[in-house]
Amino acid sequence: MPITGSINNINPAEIESFTILKDASASSLYGSRAANGVILITTKHARKGDPTLTVNAYYGTQSIPRKGRPKMMTAREFATFQNEYYEDRVKYENYTGKLDTTYANPERYGNGTNWFNTLTRSAPIQNYDLTYSAATENASTTVVGSYLNQQGVVINSGTQLFALRFNQEFSFIDKKLKTGLNFAPSYRLDHNNRLGTEGVGGLIEKASEASPLVAPVDAKGNTPLYVQSPGMVNNINPYAQYMKTKDDYATTRLLGNTYANYEIINGLRLNTSIGLDMGMETRDNFSPTSISSNNLATGVSSYVSNYSWTAEANLNYKKTIASVHHIELLAGYSAQQFKQKSNSVSGTSFTSDDIPWLNAATSITAGSSNTTQYSLLSMIGRANYDYKGKYLFSGAIRRDGSSRFGSAKKYGAFPSVSAGWVISNENFMRDIKPVSFLKVRASYGLTGNNNIGNFTFIPAISNSNYVLNGQLVSGATVTSLGNNDLAWERNKQTDIGVDVSFFNSRLSFTYDYYHRITDGLIQDRPVPQASGFASITSNVGVLEFWGHEFAVNSVNLNGALKWTTSFNMSFDRNRIKALVSPGFLRRNNTVTSDYFRNQVGHPLGTFYGFVFQGLYKDDADLANSPKYGANGSASAVGTIKMKDVNGDKVIDDNDRTFIGDPNPNFVFGMTNTLQYKQFDFSVSMAGSQGGQILAASKWAYLTNLDGARALLSAVKDRWRSPEQPGSGIYPRTLSGTTALGRSVNSQWLEDGSYLTVKNIALGYTIPFRSNKSGFQRLRVYGSVQQAFILTKYSGINPEISLNGLDGTSLGIDENAYPVPRTFAFGITATLK
Amino acid sequence: MVKHIFITAAVACAFASCKKDFISLTPQDQPSSATFFQTEAQFRQGIIAAYTPLRDLMNNDFFTAEMRSDNTHYEYYSINRGTAYQYKENIADFVDEAIDDVSNAVYFAPYKGIVKTNIVIGRIGAANISDTARKSIEGQARFLRAFYYFKLVRYFGGVPLYLKESTNADDAFIGRSTADQVYDQIITDAKTAIDLLQPPAKFPQSGEATKGAATMLLADVYMTLKKYPEAEALLKTLPGMGYTLLPDYASVFSTSNKNSRESIFEVQYLQGLQGGQQSNFIYLFLPRCKSTALITYGVATNNTGTGGWNTPTTDMINAYEPNDKRKDVSIGVAEGVYDASCVFTLSAYKSILNYKPATGKTGVPFIKKYLNPHTNVNNTDDNWPVYRYADALLLLAEAQNAQGRPADALANLNMVRTRAGLPAATEMDQTNLADIIAHERRVELAFENKRWHDLVRTGKAIEVMNADGVRLKQQYSYLSPASYNVTTSKLLYPIPKSEILTNPKLTQNPDYN
Repeated sequence: MPITGSINNINPAEIESFTILKDASASSLYGSRAANGVILITTKHARKGDPTLTVNAYYGTQSIPRKGRPKMMTAREFATFQNEYYEDRVKYENYTGKLDTTYANPERYGNGTNWFNTLTRSAPIQNYDLTYSAATENASTTVVGSYLNQQGVVINSGTQLFALRFNQEFSFIDKKLKTGLNFAPSYRLDHNNRLGTEGVGGLIEKASEASPLVAPVDAKGNTPLYVQSPGMVNNINPYAQYMKTKDDYATTRLLGNTYANYEIINGLRLNTSIGLDMGMETRDNFSPTSISSNNLATGVSSYVSNYSWTAEANLNYKKTIASVHHIELLAGYSAQQFKQKSNSVSGTSFTSDDIPWLNAATSITAGSSNTTQYSLLSMIGRANYDYKGKYLFSGAIRRDGSSRFGSAKKYGAFPSVSAGWVISNENFMRDIKPVSFLKVRASYGLTGNNNIGNFTFIPAISNSNYVLNGQLVSGATVTSLGNNDLAWERNKQTDIGVDVSFFNSRLSFTYDYYHRITDGLIQDRPVPQASGFASITSNVGVLEFWGHEFAVNSVNLNGALKWTTSFNMSFDRNRIKALVSPGFLRRNNTVTSDYFRNQVGHPLGTFYGFVFQGLYKDDADLANSPKYGANGSASAVGTIKMKDVNGDKVIDDNDRTFIGDPNPNFVFGMTNTLQYKQFDFSVSMAGSQGGQILAASKWAYLTNLDGARALLSAVKDRWRSPEQPGSGIYPRTLSGTTALGRSVNSQWLEDGSYLTVKNIALGYTIPFRSNKSGFQRLRVYGSVQQAFILTKYSGINPEISLNGLDGTSLGIDENAYPVPRTFAFGITATLK
Repeated sequence: MVKHIFITAAVACAFASCKKDFISLTPQDQPSSATFFQTEAQFRQGIIAAYTPLRDLMNNDFFTAEMRSDNTHYEYYSINRGTAYQYKENIADFVDEAIDDVSNAVYFAPYKGIVKTNIVIGRIGAANISDTARKSIEGQARFLRAFYYFKLVRYFGGVPLYLKESTNADDAFIGRSTADQVYDQIITDAKTAIDLLQPPAKFPQSGEATKGAATMLLADVYMTLKKYPEAEALLKTLPGMGYTLLPDYASVFSTSNKNSRESIFEVQYLQGLQGGQQSNFIYLFLPRCKSTALITYGVATNNTGTGGWNTPTTDMINAYEPNDKRKDVSIGVAEGVYDASCVFTLSAYKSILNYKPATGKTGVPFIKKYLNPHTNVNNTDDNWPVYRYADALLLLAEAQNAQGRPADALANLNMVRTRAGLPAATEMDQTNLADIIAHERRVELAFENKRWHDLVRTGKAIEVMNADGVRLKQQYSYLSPASYNVTTSKLLYPIPKSEILTNPKLTQNPDYN
């Protein structure tokens, strides 16, 4: 059954296997839900035999690696910086104020508070699961129960998941009728882990908002509201914010499906299934007065419930003619409907901080309830044919209808074809012994994408209230541009592949070439805001994706010591082929976060900004170079010099250009597994070569030269005078000149290549001589996840993107959540 | 095989057609755009929605119409050089660029209102509603559209003229009209509004646009175009609609006198924690304090993130004649100490009259017109005055003087002066009297977003603002040499950079990038 969205309520213990389908022909069964590929998850089903009980438990510790943590100035260094900042203001700006006494005699300070360390911690993770399975000739039962408790590496955060799964299968009438029932309830508790530790306002920004001279908790054990030193911006104590905020989500999820498959006549099966995906989520948020600049507590209580059902039926006919012609025909139909209801209530002015529920709020400030829905209707016909297992052909066509498009554009037709040739089954290959399998295959097909908002094609009517006669009056009007011409985004994909294996399949090799054209790309197209609207959801352009993928699997040793290696590598490219006028889409209109520009002829997400050319060296350099600000007033010797891209002798917004590419040249992964007697050992690695990272949070927050934020230690080595030019990286502190460095520019770019050792595991299986103990198998193991990263990138984790994997904001490090290193020990026991 | 597919497809399609409703869904939690705008109640909602963007405008208009002028400046926030601060300062200092989000905001806000008036005007013709309702609703829409375009044409020159609702992408991409074309449209709309609308039905008024508001607007337009007889004729109709000066200047700005007989049009706000209809002007205009309680009637607001703007200049404070009652009503003094983080700790609330700072303290003048009792943090009840009868009287005086009738002009001018406790003016020389009227407008209408438009309209902006720059640079060392270099091109703001990039049909104003 389809789950569109998060699978974080599924415990990995429930999963037997998963398969990723990428080419258009393979994914034709899944329709529009498969436009970005399909992950088929098969959950555990019992096999015939004695009942078994498997217990698995592990306990681990997660910690953020030392490498990549921001190296901030200590208290002494920051006080010294403030002294120098003051000296430079006196020297260069005729500043007549006094140095605040806080900063006098910096040597009296030591390391002070390391706020990054204060806000993070080592945290335990533990997981217990129990799998029971039993099967007879005509019935099988599997029950999986699990509990996961993962505390966050950001203080006062964590998650717990309770999950159950029942998988039942029955067969009747000599196995002509098969029915099943799968049922998986789960309950997830999230505490403070959705507070936005990523993105603007996230962890790195918070860590820069507090002074190393101030402790998070004072001598009396209180958390001061403000933790800045003189001259810094008044930000609220981030430690208190993280410790005192309550933001709890409770998510109940119910996945269930039932199916019945009946063999009508020999070779003809009717398959039917009904699936249900229900979710209910409550949020209770409370922010107490003790972390409010206005001494006001606020709270939110909200609820979201959604349910989605899918009904599917297909007829499947298999026939072999003259024992060489294998035919399989399929005709199917599927319907899906999704509905969501939500409500939210906010309140303020609580009677005390002790009661974090809206019941104690003296004012309810806002309340709303909403609903939304979508539905999908699909038909599919498919025919497979092969001759002697040598020549394989498949053709399919599906027609998908979506509620998300206007009446004329609801349906899209998506055909696909594929062919394969198993060369190793040919007679002439018989004598070529080393080759045990050789297949070439090709496919071409279309898939559709309707992954847009539910009603974006309809102009929205929204409230816009006002006051008349001293009373609130309701207003309402059209607030978005509809688009009745909005149509399915179509992916046209070609795949060509070779599978070959040698020496009785000890060595196998797979090669794939893919080429995909995304036609009618659906995006919000900005329109002139003077029209009263900001954007229109449209089919805006054409994208091209192509690449080569290689995979090698090898059994290197097959004796007492078994050693297998699997290696894969892919070279992925993309390019924007066409876009509506004006031929590019900006990320946004803010110079400090307009990180990339999608423009015809360039790959998606290409970084866009100023070109950094160092600092103005001396008066001659300044005099001879283009300058920034009104009449060049924001440039001086020792400030940042950007390239005059358009050659008009001034530096301004028009000098921004394409500065870098987040897309790697290639990515790869390798897993080695070793087995010797009772020991097993595996190492998994993943790597990426050539993509760039834009270290946005570092340059936006950690290098503030106005004395207003805590600073990277490296800023000590900044420009102070022509005789003390520093490292050439950090400019001077001169008033009115520092803002340019906070505009996106090429100084923010770093090489994002990496090699990560993802997982190292060592296990030992305890041998049991007899069955008396009841143990069938007992294995103990230890593992390290995210063991180490080899990278030149200065931040915590080079595997980064802004909005998950939407592909349009790769390589932007805006306070990404730190990925911890986890040491874990576990035990797996199977009983009979 | 192929045949089989066709049969399957045919069967499936037949099945689908009877289930067509299954994928025909409309939003359940909002009115349907296909059936909205039928009834009078819906059109009333539609026109109410067209007022709301007035607030977006007023939240930024004081930067571009007041802080840009010689009336006010800002409290420099030396430690916070974020763009959000610099954009606002740059407006005051004449070093703003096309990416400035303040000048961008006063471009976008009127257009947000214009589309809503276009929706009403475009659809009401076909609606089956009473003639009285249609006149009232369309009249308000015409007034608002004229008002919004009048703001735009004065700030940006010839802007794109959107006169019908955009329903697809192509509608949205249009180029600039000339300033004359925009003015013609404003005059057409304002005249239509005068014809369609009624004078205020009662005082205090409801807050809706009236015939009086449309009359005043058109007179303001004619004054800008120097069509003095036309302006005079319109302004003289206002007393007949019931407008008059309130006896006491202070009461004009009291929240207990909203929409009074002196009010011709004001932007409505309502304090309260629900509904989001409140204003917060005083918290933008006070210096950045961790607690403003001493001044704000005990309400302890932390305005360090919002305050520090629109601070009266010394020149403004000195512009009041001795014994002018308006000075103490318009300006107060926050006394206290700035710390190293540019945060002001209040120690006293003082009068501006004969103010001398206490030893070791700093006095920061602030605009007091929007200070009234209120209950909640950062949440006030103050309306924003757009047109008052005093404004009408002074425009009338100006129109009469421009036509060489100083006696008539003095009669109207002196009504305003008398209320302020000042002796009647007697100047009969046309040029001198023009200066006196301009000065009277400056103090009477101080901090009501009139000053910059008056300076531009009367051709004084370049002279006055360069002189203001000289004074301010002596006072504030942080001002760069490039600031206050006021030339003709600075009389217009730039079209937002994002609009230029989105719409290739647009051209930029001279000397902006």
